[in-house]
Amino acid sequence: MKDLKHLIYFENLLQEANNELVQQGKKEGLRAIGYTCYFMPEVLLDLPGCFSVRLRAPRCTSPDIATYYMSGRVCHYGRSLLERALEGGFNFLDAQMATETCTVTCRFQEHIQQKHLKSVDDMRIIDNDDFFCEFTDVPFKNNENSYQHFETQLRAHVLEPLHEHFGIDISDETLVKTVEEHNELCRLINEIGDYRKLDNPTNPTITGYEFHVIQLVSLVCPKHLILPYLRETAEELKTREPNQKKEFRCKVLLAGSENDDPDFTKLIEGCGALVVCDRYCYGAVESRQPIVLEEGKSPLRCIAEHYLKTSNCPRFMPQDEMRARKQRIANLAKEYHADGVIVASNKFCEYWSYERTIDTFILKRDYGLPVCSIEKEYINSASGQLRTRFQAFVESIEIKHIQEGKENG
Amino acid sequence: MCKIGKFFLKLLGIFLAANAVLFVVFFFDLDGKLLFNVVEPFLKNHYDNMKRKDVLTMPYDTDKFPKYKYDE
Amino acid sequence: MAKKKLSKSLKDFWYGKPHTAEEGGRRLGELYEDKTGLFKHREWRGVKDTFYYMYMIWGYNYVHMVTDILKYSDNPIDFFKGTWRYRWMGQTYLPVIHWFDRGLQGMRGPALRASAWHYRAMVSASIQQICNFFNGDTRLHHGKENDAYRHTFLAKETTCGTLFYPWMDAGYQYVPIEMIPYFVTCHVNSHTVLNYIDAAQSIGLPGDPCPMCQAEAGIYVLDDVPDCAPFVITCNEACDGSVGTAILQDWFIDKPLFAMSLPMQFDDPLVRKFCMKDIEECWKFIEEQTGVPFNFESMVKRLELQNKLQRDEWEKWEVAGKTDYYPVNGVAQALFRIFSTQYGIQGDFWLEASEKVKKIMYRCVEKKINPFPQTRHRVIAWSCAPLYYSNWCTWAYNCWGLNTIINMDSLMFDMEIRTDSYEHMLEDMATYHMWAPMRRMAVGGMHHIFELWDYMERFNCDMVAMYDQLQCKGMQGVHGLFEDEFRKRNVKAFWLPHALPDCRTVSRAEIRRLINDYMTTVMHEEPLDPSLLDFDDSMTW
Repeated sequence: MKDLKHLIYFENLLQEANNELVQQGKKEGLRAIGYTCYFMPEVLLDLPGCFSVRLRAPRCTSPDIATYYMSGRVCHYGRSLLERALEGGFNFLDAQMATETCTVTCRFQEHIQQKHLKSVDDMRIIDNDDFFCEFTDVPFKNNENSYQHFETQLRAHVLEPLHEHFGIDISDETLVKTVEEHNELCRLINEIGDYRKLDNPTNPTITGYEFHVIQLVSLVCPKHLILPYLRETAEELKTREPNQKKEFRCKVLLAGSENDDPDFTKLIEGCGALVVCDRYCYGAVESRQPIVLEEGKSPLRCIAEHYLKTSNCPRFMPQDEMRARKQRIANLAKEYHADGVIVASNKFCEYWSYERTIDTFILKRDYGLPVCSIEKEYINSASGQLRTRFQAFVESIEIKHIQEGKENG
Repeated sequence: MCKIGKFFLKLLGIFLAANAVLFVVFFFDLDGKLLFNVVEPFLKNHYDNMKRKDVLTMPYDTDKFPKYKYDE
Repeated sequence: MAKKKLSKSLKDFWYGKPHTAEEGGRRLGELYEDKTGLFKHREWRGVKDTFYYMYMIWGYNYVHMVTDILKYSDNPIDFFKGTWRYRWMGQTYLPVIHWFDRGLQGMRGPALRASAWHYRAMVSASIQQICNFFNGDTRLHHGKENDAYRHTFLAKETTCGTLFYPWMDAGYQYVPIEMIPYFVTCHVNSHTVLNYIDAAQSIGLPGDPCPMCQAEAGIYVLDDVPDCAPFVITCNEACDGSVGTAILQDWFIDKPLFAMSLPMQFDDPLVRKFCMKDIEECWKFIEEQTGVPFNFESMVKRLELQNKLQRDEWEKWEVAGKTDYYPVNGVAQALFRIFSTQYGIQGDFWLEASEKVKKIMYRCVEKKINPFPQTRHRVIAWSCAPLYYSNWCTWAYNCWGLNTIINMDSLMFDMEIRTDSYEHMLEDMATYHMWAPMRRMAVGGMHHIFELWDYMERFNCDMVAMYDQLQCKGMQGVHGLFEDEFRKRNVKAFWLPHALPDCRTVSRAEIRRLINDYMTTVMHEEPLDPSLLDFDDSMTW
């Protein structure tokens, strides 16, 4: 299979947060707005005049100073972000749109927030005079009360501050236009990702790793600058010839907590399991669903509803929602012809520790899906152990196939 | 001594003896020692060997309960 | 010489040995049996206090542990059946008096009396909860759903009891699911909870989430929760781990469940409306499940008692902050406050105890009695405390003269709820719920946790006992900033690492060692009771 034309370029863009396209966007006079959580609607940060950057801390393996501030007993992702910020890696940010949606990323964002308080010193971590950090309250439910609340919050803590600080146009017309551009990106990513749904396990048109890289660049670069590359990639895939020889031994769905490390997907695929679906934070399953603007509702209201309705985050608590999440994974596995599910949670991630535990039982027991349940670090230095786990999982799926008398290739 | 006097003396004697016993139990922590060395190990053994339901076999039905929404 | 000796012996007999490092002072550490923490003999506190302890604390509470069962239980036999059925019950109920012993060790005079009343109220509330559990428990009634079952609200322990006041006139009772099986258990007998933590991990839960949440999940894994109510209410307090626990609990309870979703950014005036609606939705759920309408009068009646309790507390804090006459020790202050506010008003015990303590306090103020005369430092305890060693502050006073005046948990529910109209009540309920429990300082911006400096001033404290819950992500996430601020402000502070209920992670002896090290190497002080510096209580309750 021929390499994708822009893959190396994309990989290079993921080497640091302040990448080539971010720098280009800043040169154009656009404001860079950081965020960490899916619940912060990316589309609002992509209004004309600014662009969204979902924060990552690539290659951060030893966050020493952040460990002093946050101890070694919290999620490596949160600590790595703080370390990168302390190193000056996020000084390009003009604002951080923060959410208190999980404890450790919240604490990271509180560290970079200007405090102006007597009680605790402002560390001025982000060395940028324009920088501000604003928190939005995100509900734990998806009902009418929550939609109203979230809409109010987004107006007060995202749109209005962007307008006040940077003069961003936050009119409904502009929102509609931005949603359309966002949806175009979603359509492109889905077009690229849908090749993974084809029932050809041994010779895919696109690998999970390639898709992971493409999805990530769409999250961390100015949209208008990355779109031409994505369009070209989508065109390229239309004529891409898959390999003839058997490359993978099974297909898996990868679910779980924060994951912005394409090498993790590469590791799984290196063990023979093609990652066909990415239902995790930073994955495309949720974030690349087009936003539907309904008549009779303001664009902001539609955006608020969209993000609360599409999220599969384990912080959502209504009983029907907690239970439906398992069904959705099973549905996705069917849609993508996955032979099994890998549920991966970052070490110290409290939400996913519990969700992973229950997924491991229920997906297997009630839906007959083989499950590999693993705990991982943000940057996976212990790849040897993980490789052993994944290899064993692939073998168990193959044995299952043999036992079921199913053709395996 | 009259009968009533004897009775009260006896009562006082019983009261004092009971208090003396109670004091010994209290002061030498005999209640704690009994509970720690005899009662708790016995109960622990009982709880450790109890037959318990395997909760992992509990059903997990997606549609068993309605959506509890009251704001629409 | 002999006369002097005799005179000293008589004095010691009458008053108890003095609290001093000098020869002839009391040596509480010598009273312990090795490892078990049992007493070779209980402390001789002088004639008056020893017999007060024997009759009014030891005997009185043993008797009330029986009479309270008769008072709150529909059928006392259920109590025994429950003891036999549930580990948290059997292993915890009996050593209750030893819990008093640990918390009240070394206390004399008003400190002994006032602190004991706080303990007494907690025992009474616990027995009421236990009876509420067992009265309706289908497991103890051949699978039958009786009247008590239909009149019980079951809710996650971090859901405030205030929420259920509107139905109490109609005979409903509220049981916070994990408060007795987990929370109280840890304090009374720290062995029990280890079974639940291990059980949670046995089904694949990693060892790093908050051990409180693990234990709460483990109670279900071991099938050790009474089936005593037709539906359940959960909430997103206090942390990510609690939310995670709710996922497992929903599976294992498998009953109609309503999840309350309280906002995190509580300083933001925009969140209140949302929170008010969420509370109302919860009430609608209860109405739907019970068929009994919301009763504002029932709500007001109990809120007014709750407000009274709050005003009492403010009065006590005023004395604690401004004088040396506050007679309640650190552990009794902390536990009474968090237990009473979380459980809410479901009986007379809180107010009765509060009245008795106030009376003792007034006497101390009038007569200028310092109940903690050996105080060297006034300590504020910050963050969440080790449940298996909540009585560390009793030890710290006895050993080093560190008097814990106030703690963070006590300060969380710091408000009255207006009762003059439904709207005002609902507004305040929203604030109350967003603040509590464990959230007032923990969420809504890190500046809340740094309110420590204001409280140090308000309570006139010169030292901080900084709890370091090793698995609390929120507190670990601000660890370094506290270090920076302590240094910058030259605040005397010692860290007290622990894993909430799990005594295996950091032992009690290790906690003592760290405090000892701080007091000798940083403060250059000598202990008041050297026998307490190092002793082995590794197997104790």
